[in-house]
Amino acid sequence: MKGIVFTEFLDLVEDKFGLEMVDKIISQSKLESEGVYTSIGTYKFSEMLQLLQNLNDNTGISINDLLLTYGEHFFSVIESSYSGLLATYKDPIEMLSSIENHIHVEVRKIYPDAELPVFIVEEKTKDSLVMIYKSSRAMYYFGLGLMNKTFQHFGSTAEIVLEKIKEDGTEVKFIINKS
Amino acid sequence: MSEEKIRILERSLKREKAARKAAEKILEDKSRELYFLSEELKKSNFKLENLLSEKSSELKGVFENILDAYVVIDLDGNVLKFNEAAITFFGYPQDAKNQLNVLDIIHKEDMDYALSSFADLQTKGFFKNYRARVYTNSGEIKWVHINASTIYDKNQVPIAAQGIVRDITQIKLLEEQKEEIFQRLKEKNNDLYEYAHVVSHDLKSPLRSIDALISWIKMENEGKLDESTVQNIDLIESTLENMDKLISNILDYSSADTKIEEVEIDLNRVLNHIEKTVLIPDHIKIIVLSKLPVIKGDGTKFQQVFQNLISNAIKFNDKEQGIIEVDCIEKGSFYQFSVKDNGVGIEQEYHDKIFEVFQSLTKREDSTGIGLSIVKKIIDLYEGTIWLESTPKIGTTFYFTIKKQ
Repeated sequence: MKGIVFTEFLDLVEDKFGLEMVDKIISQSKLESEGVYTSIGTYKFSEMLQLLQNLNDNTGISINDLLLTYGEHFFSVIESSYSGLLATYKDPIEMLSSIENHIHVEVRKIYPDAELPVFIVEEKTKDSLVMIYKSSRAMYYFGLGLMNKTFQHFGSTAEIVLEKIKEDGTEVKFIINKS
Repeated sequence: MSEEKIRILERSLKREKAARKAAEKILEDKSRELYFLSEELKKSNFKLENLLSEKSSELKGVFENILDAYVVIDLDGNVLKFNEAAITFFGYPQDAKNQLNVLDIIHKEDMDYALSSFADLQTKGFFKNYRARVYTNSGEIKWVHINASTIYDKNQVPIAAQGIVRDITQIKLLEEQKEEIFQRLKEKNNDLYEYAHVVSHDLKSPLRSIDALISWIKMENEGKLDESTVQNIDLIESTLENMDKLISNILDYSSADTKIEEVEIDLNRVLNHIEKTVLIPDHIKIIVLSKLPVIKGDGTKFQQVFQNLISNAIKFNDKEQGIIEVDCIEKGSFYQFSVKDNGVGIEQEYHDKIFEVFQSLTKREDSTGIGLSIVKKIIDLYEGTIWLESTPKIGTTFYFTIKKQ
């Protein structure tokens, strides 16, 4: 998993819960990296799982909610670092339906070895979109957070319903209706 | 600040420092990787440049050395490049070619043909064996042969077309002359054939009159004529008969080199027919050694060939037991036939002469000297050859070939 996911995550934890919480979840986890992360490095996904689990233990906030918040936070990273990419879109539905064919292509230019989830567009109209999320990470709430912020970015809102296709969350249907 | 807080900050600082170093290490590695990659690129770029200049030089050589005119045009037909040969051939000065469009130099009667070839260039990417007329700068009309192909860029988008233009004016002239001569020859041949028909008919009718008159004289004077007069009259009659045969043969000869019908002929049946119609004396036997092929051709002509050869073999047989053997073998795209006899044989010096018209080696009354020349003409017609092997007093073998159809 790319380092930027870790660094941004820890920044968010520090922001919301303080440096002590960062120190706590790192020392409670058994990390090969010893909690030393740089955005351009690559680290094991299991490290992220441990950090999330420990944050959940310490705060009582569910992992899905943590991921949702983190996804919403991560959108701001995109906004500040890759504003050019966002500027190529005028509509959130257009942007979300281009994840696979455009955004991930751009991501791979910077992070060639990134392991990205797959988003398959099933149905698309001007105001609605149905996509299938596929990833062994099952971080669909992170995706949901990104999507919420996407609509906000374009000054609109949407109702997004998640339907698990596989119980472990490695395949989830996103039903998006612009409101 | 509490000690705990200080320790947390220290740990955080330590992680940050370690992370910075890790990042620097990653970046250094990336830089090194990029450096080597750029070196590789430089090298392959250098190689490509070399290859390009080598190929360009090769092409320039071809462009300059080729004897034919070489022309490059854009997709609208505007001339982009002329080699020296093209400048000389079309007669345009070096700078004038830039304003030249190929449609301007195409002969107006060939315009449709030219446009359809031009369309081929766009659909198929090439045209070949285009033969038509063009105008040169001086207004002269020349015949050209052109092979052309489309030039594509690296994305397979057509950008231009190139053509090699050969001056075939002289060849075309010779072809036309040849065609003209051929036509005239054909007419002459027809005339000759007609002529032979008329002449033979005109010659035969007085012969028939003489024959009739002689037989009347014979009838009216039966018993009154002495023996030598009767003998002379008989001689006149046989001479007349010979002359009639001679005229018929001349007619056969004149038509021997024209194919009339092309049908399947079973040569075994031809041979059977000959054995029934030709008078074969009791002491002569005809043996067909192998099964003869079925060929395509003019039945009468093959009948003439075998009949002439067999008749000769009968005529010139002096043995007590005459044997004539007919055989056939396959030789590649030909059939080789042979007619072998144990007759008088032919001296080596006459082996060519006998195929010429009126060259009879004997002064026999029943020999007109035309038979073998008819045979040769027919064999020529079927793209074969005829020759013979012979030992005087022992016998002769005639060989001839016929091309398989």
